[in-house]
Amino acid sequence: MKNVLVVDDSQIMRNIVKNSFAALDIPCRFLEATNGKDALNQLEENKIDLVLLDWNMPKLSGIEFLKRVRDDERYTQLPVIMVTSEAAKYNVVEALQAGATDYIIKPVNEQKFREKISKIKL
Amino acid sequence: MEKYIHPFITVCEDVFRDFVGTKLTAERPYISSRNEEHEWEISAIIGFTGEARGAVVISMKKEPALKITDILTGHAHTDIDNEVIDATGEIVNIIAGNAKRGLEETFKLIISLPTIVRGKNHRITWPGESTRIIAIPFKIFESDSLCLSVAIESITGA
Repeated sequence: MKNVLVVDDSQIMRNIVKNSFAALDIPCRFLEATNGKDALNQLEENKIDLVLLDWNMPKLSGIEFLKRVRDDERYTQLPVIMVTSEAAKYNVVEALQAGATDYIIKPVNEQKFREKISKIKL
Repeated sequence: MEKYIHPFITVCEDVFRDFVGTKLTAERPYISSRNEEHEWEISAIIGFTGEARGAVVISMKKEPALKITDILTGHAHTDIDNEVIDATGEIVNIIAGNAKRGLEETFKLIISLPTIVRGKNHRITWPGESTRIIAIPFKIFESDSLCLSVAIESITGA
């Protein structure tokens, strides 16, 4: 059973992300965070196998969360997929340079997750 | 300014088709005044900064906002509650973020978190005194309507 941390300030979007990911039939337990700060706490308290990370959130954005995570040697190999509406190429480049494992542009669906997750060893 | 509008119209139609599963039909765009009287009951706003400044706003009456939220959550809503606010904010967030792709050759933009304004004849404070506001009405759910309003101006001379 894998622990998947879904980080998004929108409850509706967290549910849509969970439902889309759950359709992949990967045995997993979902944990949730509403911003990057909350997500950092979740990382300290749980063994997380995958982070699905929004970009624009209050308190601590997804990109700042990502930079902090990659600066921590415990999490250099943790798969982090950005799941965001930020669709410009310069945003994708920034996220990948900051250490994102992959990048999904909202709106999400099962097919987008299937393509990305197949490239990751969970 | 009008050349920047097209990505927003295209993205709005795509987002409603792919995210909400609903077809939008665009009607004739017009220049909106800052103090225009309107019938909308909820507006979701995203501001732009970076190499341009402005905002994109999606406005609608209560009924389509409830229907959209019903679709996204899978259960019925009878009034504008936190889920309706969440849904409306997320839609404008996805529109703004995806529209950046269509504008990326012109300027780099930073988008704000969504802000929601509600109530009959509510007022929106637009950035910039002189930037024209282009309003694009759309038909949705056959008999309902919503309005996408965009005001954006380059601050780099692009």
